[in-house]
Amino acid sequence: MKPIHKEMQPSNPDSGEQRWAQEFAQAVPGDPTLMNRSGIPVKPLYTPADRQGKSYDEVGYPGQYPFTRGIYPSMYRGRSWSQRQLIGLGVPEQYNARVKEMLGLGASALSLIPCNSVFRGYDADEVPAELLGTCGTVINNADDMATALDGVPIDTISTAMNDPSPFTLLAFELAVAKRRGVPWEKITGTSNQSDCISHFVANHMFFRLSLQGARRVIVDHIKFCNQQVPNWNALSIVGQHMQQAGATAAEAMAFTLASGVQYAEDCIRAGMDPDQFLPRFTFFFDISVSLFEEVAKFRAGRRVWARLCKERLGAKDPRSWRFKFHGQTSGVDLTRQQPLNNIARVTTQAIAGIFGGLQSLHTDSYDEVFSTPTAEAARIAVATQNILREEAHLTDVIDPLGGSYYVETLTDQMEERINAIIAMIDAEGGMYHAVEKGIVQRMIGESALSFQQKVDAGEQTIVGVNAYKVDEDPATYVSQEYPSAQLMGSYLDRLAAYKKKRSQSAVQNTLSELARSANDGQRNVFEHVVLAAEAGATHGEICGTLRRELGFGQPLTMV
Amino acid sequence: MEKRPPRVIVTKIGFDGHDRGSRVIAACLRDAGMEVIYTPPWQEIGAVVKLALEEDADVIGISSLATDHLIVPKLMEALRSAGLADVQVIVGGIVPHKDEAKLLESGVARVFHPGTALDEVVAQVQALTVKRREMQEVQS
Amino acid sequence: MTALSEQLIDRILRGDRRTIARAISSLEAGDAFSHNVRVACRRHVGRAHVIGVTGPPGAGKSTLVSSLIAGLRARGNTVAVLAVDPSSPFSGGAVLGDRIRMGVHQSDDGVFIRSLASRGHLGGLTAAAADVIDLFDAAGFDTVIVETVGAGQSEVEITRYADTRVVACPPGLGDDVQAIKAGVLEIADVFVVTKADLPDARRTASDLKSMIALRRNTQNPPAVMPVSTVDDKGIPELVAWLADRTVRGLRHADGGIRQARDLVERCLANDNFGQAMGMELLHASPGHVTLRMPVTRTQINFNGRCHGGAIFALADMALGLACNSHGMLATLIDSQMSISTALEEGEHLVADAIEVARSRKIGTYQVRLTRARDDKHVAMLNGTVYVLNQPVDVPELPAS
Repeated sequence: MKPIHKEMQPSNPDSGEQRWAQEFAQAVPGDPTLMNRSGIPVKPLYTPADRQGKSYDEVGYPGQYPFTRGIYPSMYRGRSWSQRQLIGLGVPEQYNARVKEMLGLGASALSLIPCNSVFRGYDADEVPAELLGTCGTVINNADDMATALDGVPIDTISTAMNDPSPFTLLAFELAVAKRRGVPWEKITGTSNQSDCISHFVANHMFFRLSLQGARRVIVDHIKFCNQQVPNWNALSIVGQHMQQAGATAAEAMAFTLASGVQYAEDCIRAGMDPDQFLPRFTFFFDISVSLFEEVAKFRAGRRVWARLCKERLGAKDPRSWRFKFHGQTSGVDLTRQQPLNNIARVTTQAIAGIFGGLQSLHTDSYDEVFSTPTAEAARIAVATQNILREEAHLTDVIDPLGGSYYVETLTDQMEERINAIIAMIDAEGGMYHAVEKGIVQRMIGESALSFQQKVDAGEQTIVGVNAYKVDEDPATYVSQEYPSAQLMGSYLDRLAAYKKKRSQSAVQNTLSELARSANDGQRNVFEHVVLAAEAGATHGEICGTLRRELGFGQPLTMV
Repeated sequence: MEKRPPRVIVTKIGFDGHDRGSRVIAACLRDAGMEVIYTPPWQEIGAVVKLALEEDADVIGISSLATDHLIVPKLMEALRSAGLADVQVIVGGIVPHKDEAKLLESGVARVFHPGTALDEVVAQVQALTVKRREMQEVQS
Repeated sequence: MTALSEQLIDRILRGDRRTIARAISSLEAGDAFSHNVRVACRRHVGRAHVIGVTGPPGAGKSTLVSSLIAGLRARGNTVAVLAVDPSSPFSGGAVLGDRIRMGVHQSDDGVFIRSLASRGHLGGLTAAAADVIDLFDAAGFDTVIVETVGAGQSEVEITRYADTRVVACPPGLGDDVQAIKAGVLEIADVFVVTKADLPDARRTASDLKSMIALRRNTQNPPAVMPVSTVDDKGIPELVAWLADRTVRGLRHADGGIRQARDLVERCLANDNFGQAMGMELLHASPGHVTLRMPVTRTQINFNGRCHGGAIFALADMALGLACNSHGMLATLIDSQMSISTALEEGEHLVADAIEVARSRKIGTYQVRLTRARDDKHVAMLNGTVYVLNQPVDVPELPAS
């Protein structure tokens, strides 16, 4: 009879467990533990023995500290997660058309992805024309924003602007709100991906200002929104970038929470009260296809963040301890080979996010591996969420995986791992220092390389890539057309006309004040960004001004 | 130890900043014994040309995930103008099928798509290095 | 020399960038053309100000160099930069990323940046890098900046080829100030405390000043200058200080490092026993030589370990080269060796010989032997040499 591996030795030589262990060892000899992506060993079976000594208090009820099971008492029974699909293409009119379509199909919130030229802080007339509008919408001024949001009730629909320091897109939206007579208190949404630290670690997309410059502006932004746009989430701390760059689930959560602590400490130093700003801190996470790991990651993350807010940051209001997050299904899990398989992947990732208790969800379209999504693929992505909610009834029970011997154990193990990494970051002096030293980037790079090596060695299957391959002709897959040169040409004409028709002196004045505010610690930079936007300044002009005063971001890259 | 290992530039032009792929490739080429001059994203075309010249690069690897491959033909032209037509250029990342032919026509040696094994990239870079050095010999 | 070679060298001397870049590759590879380049450049050196920049990882060297380049360019200087990174000992490859932080100069034709990898042969690095410095000098660059990691002895060594040695120290060094290798402390002309905007910087600057006062003679103490690249503080002062330095071509001075290096190389090449044992030169400067030797089957004793005689042989060779590096023949007359660790086949032994004292007739030397892979102490040799009245006479190395 094959011996029972030491990992499988029953702690309690009770007859059922003993018998199972023996029969299992017969069928599967050797060490049966497998390693998940975060490096945590996973056993074939979890039983009450794994939960011995643990009390339900450590898990808690939904809506109660430490929030393992969810941040609200009613979760999706009370209100479904927001279906917040990223939209970004071509010119503002195209964006507007796609938004209306998505809202008609069931999306309940919108998210705007600007063109890469906007990411970098430039106006459309400052960059090579071929690159305009291919990956996001070109928005350079308040008029563009008005076109993009035409017919969209911004007093009721939540808008997420993917636009960190200096947050011009929100400034343009606020200008539009003023024009429409919508009070700023009614504006809801998030400054998505406003976290500057994550952009210096990975992703490297929003690189308009130096790290320390962005650090200054985000604190001003949080302060301004707290006072004047109180229902807006000014801070979105991003775990998605790091996980997309190759960080394991545990690493991504740990680095993100450590960043959260840095931002909170900066706000406290700026004189704000944790109970004032923490309720408007949100998180943005990747959801990979490794379902159980993701669920455990989010449950553990809620617990760790609640404890950090309560004990380390000194927040007293339970609403300040809540880990609110938006999840996006992971693009790096998708393949170019047999792309329709991506629908199955996205479905799995969405389930993981829903069981993980997210507040809003973006599902990728299956053709994102080729280009920005076609309309049909975008429809399927939204339908996926509708099916999960209304056909599979995933919203009927709160935290349905709670209590699973496996999931609770994995949650505890994730928590340990997350805490260990946060302690390491603390020893380096916090995330800003750790990032400047390159420690975080190096860890992520190693995880990325190690994963790729596993794929190349065939240890990690990627269907269609290193296994289950078929002969296919990639030319048969349709990709989204690039915006026509004509469309872009007319946009550029409109931009030129816009620059002529506004009051040059008003623009100049506000830009000078903006520059001055950047050098004066007593003034609020974002307040001046808003004033400049209202006066008609363009995105490139605002970013350019701040670039000069606060420095251009240089990546702190290591390989 | 190798007297003259391949010297490879790994870089990104245009606007996209996602560099997981280029870092993995850089580490992999290093582990294969090559000297990699690694740059951050958003390099100007002129800067890449100057880099190739000063570093006497054998191969330039462009990582392109968004639509930045659309300006690669401009890079090829700039390399030719600078007398660096012998330097071999490869593009890796997300390149729609319809654009691949255009890149090859502009002088790009090879386009790599997602899912390519690292070994294959290494082998190709080695082969292109040999090709470039033979071209250099002929030139002198 | 062929007509083509002459043409190429002519282009180098006129500063043609592409030919310079290709010549550097030649020098690294040590091919036929490189010999001609080396010889031709030697005739045109001595004009450039060679600035060596070293310091621990994380000290912000590359950012500092970038600021220096800007300052020098503003004064109309042309600048060549040699950024050195270690090759992986496992694969032989390298990621050369220093110039990342010098991105702001990417379109300035008055700046030429070249990244070099050590290629495993620490001795090879030194030779090629020293030749590349000469190449830049001969090509007409006003300033040549050499930047190295400074983590190991051999990386720091290249800065000995410089006219001005800059050591970058990050703030918060604290006790690490003590860890600044003795070799670095001896040669530094200026300590630059980087990131001076951070709170620890002032303390680090004063720690450095105290240490200098204690360990150096007060004749020409190195300066200590805080800089912050974030707000450009201290940079103009540092650039002005560098511009005021008039020393040039120190490496080629009589009794200088270049001369010592060349002589030691020739001696080792002409030493039958040293060659037979596979001894390799890692470092040579006046009175200081480092060698490396593989422990092969031939050196194994009946106990399966490296023979004591082999250990002594390497120590003796290092000592012999060190005491002859000044150019006068010297010979070992008395020595004592103690051994603490045994070595196995396949390991590498490193011998570092330093001159403890030297008078006209007598020299005292100490050789520390370590295991290459982990720096573990293996043995120590103390020796006395007698200096003769004749110069060292060995033939020139043949052209490769």
